[in-house]
Amino acid sequence: MFEHVLSVIIFLPILAGILLLVIPASRTIARVSGLIISLATLVLSIDLYTNFSATGHLEFVEFIPWIQSLGISYHLGIDGISLFILMAGSVLLPMVYLVFTTKEKGYYANLLIVQGAMAGAVCAADMILFYIFWEVMLLPVFFMLGLYGGPKRLPATLKITLYTIAGSLLMLAAIVYLGVSYHAQFNEWSFAIDKMAQLNLTGRIAALAFFGFMIAFAIKIPLFPFHTWLPDAYTEAPTATTFVLSAIMAKIGVYGVIRFVVPVFDEQFARFAILLAYSGVIGMMYCGIAAIAQKDFKRMLAFSSASHMGIIALGVFCMNVQALTGTIYQIVAHATSTGVLFLFAGILEDRTNTRTIEDLGGIASKAPVFAMFFAITMLASVGLPGTSGFIGEFMIILGAIKFNTTIGVLAGTSLIIGVCYMLWMFQRVFFEKSNAATENFKDLSLIEGLTFLPVIILIIVMGIYPQPFLSKITPTTALQFAQNSPVVAKTVTTNALLPELTIEQK
Amino acid sequence: MTNDLMLLMPLIIVGAGAILLMLTAAYKQLTIDITAYGSAIIFAIAFLVQLSSCISGNAVLFSEAFNGILVVSNFSKAAGLIILACGFFTTLSSQTYFKQNNFCTPEYYSLTVFAALGMLLLTMAQELISVFIALEIMSLAIYILVGYDRKNVISTEAVLKYLMLGAFAGAFFTMGSAFIYGATASTKFVNISQFIASHGFVHSPAIIGGSFFILVAFLFKAAAFPFHAWVVDVYEGASAPITGYMATALKTAIFAVFANFLVLDDSLQAGWIKYLFYISIFTMFVGNLIAIGQQSLKRMLAASGIVHTGYLLIALVAVSSKAFTGSVIAFYLAAYAAGTLGIFAALSYLGGAGEKRKTFEDFKGLAKVRPYSAAAISIFLLSMAGIPPTAGFMGKFYIITSAIDAGHIALAVLGIVSSIISMWYYLRLIINMYFYEAEEQFNDAVPSQLAPICTFILVICVFAISLYPIAI
Repeated sequence: MFEHVLSVIIFLPILAGILLLVIPASRTIARVSGLIISLATLVLSIDLYTNFSATGHLEFVEFIPWIQSLGISYHLGIDGISLFILMAGSVLLPMVYLVFTTKEKGYYANLLIVQGAMAGAVCAADMILFYIFWEVMLLPVFFMLGLYGGPKRLPATLKITLYTIAGSLLMLAAIVYLGVSYHAQFNEWSFAIDKMAQLNLTGRIAALAFFGFMIAFAIKIPLFPFHTWLPDAYTEAPTATTFVLSAIMAKIGVYGVIRFVVPVFDEQFARFAILLAYSGVIGMMYCGIAAIAQKDFKRMLAFSSASHMGIIALGVFCMNVQALTGTIYQIVAHATSTGVLFLFAGILEDRTNTRTIEDLGGIASKAPVFAMFFAITMLASVGLPGTSGFIGEFMIILGAIKFNTTIGVLAGTSLIIGVCYMLWMFQRVFFEKSNAATENFKDLSLIEGLTFLPVIILIIVMGIYPQPFLSKITPTTALQFAQNSPVVAKTVTTNALLPELTIEQK
Repeated sequence: MTNDLMLLMPLIIVGAGAILLMLTAAYKQLTIDITAYGSAIIFAIAFLVQLSSCISGNAVLFSEAFNGILVVSNFSKAAGLIILACGFFTTLSSQTYFKQNNFCTPEYYSLTVFAALGMLLLTMAQELISVFIALEIMSLAIYILVGYDRKNVISTEAVLKYLMLGAFAGAFFTMGSAFIYGATASTKFVNISQFIASHGFVHSPAIIGGSFFILVAFLFKAAAFPFHAWVVDVYEGASAPITGYMATALKTAIFAVFANFLVLDDSLQAGWIKYLFYISIFTMFVGNLIAIGQQSLKRMLAASGIVHTGYLLIALVAVSSKAFTGSVIAFYLAAYAAGTLGIFAALSYLGGAGEKRKTFEDFKGLAKVRPYSAAAISIFLLSMAGIPPTAGFMGKFYIITSAIDAGHIALAVLGIVSSIISMWYYLRLIINMYFYEAEEQFNDAVPSQLAPICTFILVICVFAISLYPIAI
């Protein structure tokens, strides 16, 4: 449409959010202006999506030198990986303003800021810029959680904040280490992400830097065993924050692994890929089993989200093009299914004033539309064929089996756990007899129904006809492996049970 | 010669202004307010003159004034700018502060300007005797300012502690200078450096002992481990604007002369660097441990000042004489000054009469009563904690970069661990302000708009400084 479209997508919501915080606006004005801004962002993003030509390289590049003495620049651009995370944010966030209409001004303003910051993090092509947006992303979450969260919000707020900041400060040290190494090896300062792949990193300090990045991203995803902040934060956070955390912010952690860890730390990654893959699988199983035991449906969804993040992360660690493509696909699918389930959970909580599964029952007869929407989203989340969840999970499992049969089989079987807790919860909440809490449950209003309809359609379209989406993803993922053939070879020889299966025929 | 005078102009303006204020303070017609504005104007003019000489850049690096006793470099100019800006904001927030507290006389502002004179001189001094003179001009003024509230017991205790220990530090400094002069037959940094370069650092015990004494004096003034014990009590006893002034301008001046001293004598630096390495680590962690336990905001800020000294020492360790990264130190000082001064400017009007609001508990619910002040304080705290996009983050980033670039990866990682710990006490205040309800009522009428305006300008500075690219 015009130049600097990425900058507008990033800074329009941030500036609007700050402006809303500063002026004494009423909550209606805040909600309406928030809606308008996020719809405007959506229009820009759709325009971006249609003009995206899937070359595999960065597109819509903006480049302004900032700190020239250190080679730091304001450098933005998107490729097939970041595009889908950006789109997920732009498509899903406007729904919050339509569904939750009675929140405080700060709620909507912080939501705008977090939207812009997340867009910035995925668009940044400079490590320092990425880091800035990565940290800014956390601040609105901190305030939303602390101000508008549930009764036990304060420990949850502190936990997520300290956890995340500890991780990201270690990442800062690793980023600086990369910049300094680049200076040492090429006699030129640079913090550009794409240049870091040329670095030749060996030794103990490189391994430390690898873990500096990996722990920061593992906390954000969250990967087992760095998930302990998640149940509290997801449960106590207001619905929109849980939605943002689960639908988009967790994906930025995965994105970070794809962008920084895999291309730059090829040797270290090859060494530790099997460890990381197992931690993904263990996380899947552990969080899945924990989800079965939960009495609170929001907490159950929190564990379910973590369990699915395990498989998404696994797709990255498998080091082949199918799994990686599947990961990107699953990122969108997870955002539209599990993310949206959190919104439904928010509606459920608002209307019944309870989060306990046992207190509910018989909602399907009172609110058939709500029950149907919930069912479709839930089935997409467990990966039923015909929904978006199936395509992504199928590709990841395919890649996992190619990578290492044990891991593939374990991942495939633990998907069944997901079906268990989801269907059991659905049965107890939506079927059985209605009671006092659900007696007067109102169905979705027309506006709410129309808000969710596009997402439901998207789930089904992505499940039946994935090709248009895959064609935008594949060039970039293929390029990732074309550039880093040594990494693939190394990973395969160290980890795969049947190496001949994994080597791509060219 | 005229060029030299032009470079010295800020110093002359501040000096003449201080004397003028002191003389005219004898007249009854001169109210406290007028002196406050007068000193602010002096700082503003000196700042603009300094800025113009920075921008025009006609001064060559290390161009000499006064036969090498004073040297104006880009680093000293930057440090001077920070000091003058600190003075400006301090006088303005003092004006508001003294609307609620009535122990002020016009001499207060004159002393503030005198202290700035000493600090400016310190940034330029390249010779031991003039360093001593500058140090004493600054310290004497600060001693009086700390104990200005004579009827207050805490304030009196603070000045006594500071005066006694400061006098020791001054004595150490003169002793060290004498030793070094005895060994090298010169007090100029350049000559000392040449002497050590040709004879070696361990040539004579007098040099080792002398430089040790001088380091002790500097570390004391900079509040570094193990000479940090005075900081918490003294900062608590001084009035809020003066605490801010000490934490920022004084620290800037000390680090400027410290860097000059270490950098010019590169072999001296090589001799002391491994000790500075450990001192910086201890300073960071001891500061953190002290800060975690504090209940009073001013004491917490004092302890966090120790931590920031530790970060600055990292930069000093990383500084090598080949590529002098003085800009890193100057940048960090500017970033730190903006955040700290901002908090103290806010405290000047939020504290109320007799600084009643001082503990963490007292700040509960502030976001409901004074949302803008709470937001400003949060921004300053985030800057001190090093969260982007604030100036504090960029400062910390440059320091980590210079440390890793110099090969001190362990130091960089420890610095980061220390800032993870420090998140706790910075976040604690933000959590109190935003997530709790007020427990006690405070009279929140703001007596004068100057301090709030300062706070607002400093918020802008926190963001503006972070965007300013430095040249390494």
